[in-house]
Amino acid sequence: MLCYRAWVETRWRFLICLTVMLLPSVLYFHELGIFPMQHWTSDPHYAYGLLFGTHLPSIGIWTFAAVFLGLGGLLRERAVGTSTLTLTLPVSRAHVVGTRVGVGASETVALALAPWIVNSSISLFERTPFSRAQAGWCVLLLVGGGLVYFACAVLVSSVVEGEYTAAALMFALVYGIGYLADHVSGFSALNLYPLMSGTRYLDRNTNLFPGPMPWLGILASSSASALMLLAAVTITRRRDF
Amino acid sequence: MIAAPAIQTSSLSKYYGRTSAVQNLDLVVEANRITGFLGRNGAGKSTTIKMLLGLIRPTGGDGTILGRQITNPELNRQARAHIAYVAEDKPLYRYLTVAQTVRFAAAFYRDWRCDVAGKLLREYELPLNRRVKALSKGMRTKLALLLALARKPELLILDEPTEGLDPVMIEHLMQTIVARAAEGTAVFFSSHQIAEVERVADQVCILDRGCLVLDRSLDSLRESFRRVDMVFPVDVVEREFQLPGVERIRANRRQMSVLTSANAEGVIERARAFNAVSLEVAPVGLRDVFLAMVNGLESAIGKEN
Repeated sequence: MLCYRAWVETRWRFLICLTVMLLPSVLYFHELGIFPMQHWTSDPHYAYGLLFGTHLPSIGIWTFAAVFLGLGGLLRERAVGTSTLTLTLPVSRAHVVGTRVGVGASETVALALAPWIVNSSISLFERTPFSRAQAGWCVLLLVGGGLVYFACAVLVSSVVEGEYTAAALMFALVYGIGYLADHVSGFSALNLYPLMSGTRYLDRNTNLFPGPMPWLGILASSSASALMLLAAVTITRRRDF
Repeated sequence: MIAAPAIQTSSLSKYYGRTSAVQNLDLVVEANRITGFLGRNGAGKSTTIKMLLGLIRPTGGDGTILGRQITNPELNRQARAHIAYVAEDKPLYRYLTVAQTVRFAAAFYRDWRCDVAGKLLREYELPLNRRVKALSKGMRTKLALLLALARKPELLILDEPTEGLDPVMIEHLMQTIVARAAEGTAVFFSSHQIAEVERVADQVCILDRGCLVLDRSLDSLRESFRRVDMVFPVDVVEREFQLPGVERIRANRRQMSVLTSANAEGVIERARAFNAVSLEVAPVGLRDVFLAMVNGLESAIGKEN
């Protein structure tokens, strides 16, 4: 039931993000209509390039969505006055936070998968080349590299009180870190775009990922996410409501 | 066999910086009884309840609720499965409908009674498909009460349960509280409506500035508390009447009013020794005792003078 409540609470956010996430796929569908079928069969790598082209704009949208879905939780509930109801249920605080994180993370993964499911369907329908491996890598890079934004939003929501304060702080943080990574030397490691986009690992001739893939980067990002989520649970368990 | 207390605290304290919300609270709430929890705004009632339910951590002391340690999160969670609680601000998820809210609550408790929930939904005339955010304050209070009353908990904690209710609903709730206690549920409820507490409570606890200033059964309170009004031919100092059992004294030159929790006879004797020209002994109600306890005797008797 906590899952159901978390879903009802976030479903509009999710649906809005899903709609925006599918916009690049709409463009892909539009592009397919421009060129004749012969073009695709003679050069399948162009199709892969076009598919990879839908991945790049989705990074920014997905990052925004991950932050959007990570916000909320018990401190926001306290601001709107419902934390008492949640915390007097016979469930542990870790369970409450865990459920929210589980539903939010599932939604972010679904958002990463959705464009590729649509792209795959379009390709199947239009009989154009489609690489499942390429799609899988793009989803893995997006989620594995970018889930840290979701985890950071969960952590900030566990620390900062107020109905919209956490949201404002989190978006300021995302832009602030992006600015530092781009403009200040020594902070470039904070720039997750190369990892999430996979542009450094793409073969420019085939528009496919030949490998090796950035497992270390994914592992580092995933570990940071896990630590942030653990910190969020610990803070919530110790906090007065 | 004597049942274990539903709630028992020992030196329970909560400080926010240097400000104390609750100080060394030793509280015992017996099972199978209705205990009224009174106090002014900010006296520490809600803080106490929140500590009992594990929402906030005590700064000092400890306690048990349904025999489980309140500071142990896992034991507190186990206890909450047998406790129905209605918070002061009647929190409900605004984005759920009435039906979703009822289903949500029902999923967490084994003691949920579908038949009672259905009966209360009809009696309270709650629209099943309306979202909580579209309900009036009274309707929200009814829904919050339904979530507690549709269960058969061991302990029912109500924090200002009648706020926002019409007189018919208040009457219904009072009858329900008495019925639940008769079924074996311990009821612990805080209220500013002293008449309501006086009507249904077996035991009364009064909290003032975080300290427990009274913990008595209502029967013993009615039997033992007396107000002694005296007039003397000459000025008398308060000190002369600081006897065992005297709770509060208000002196105004030759007039004196004393509230006793016992030993009214001793006060009368002392008054006679000082040649009182007028001596009146009267039983006091809970309201008078409450006002005397939390605000000094002048408030309790101010109207009469």
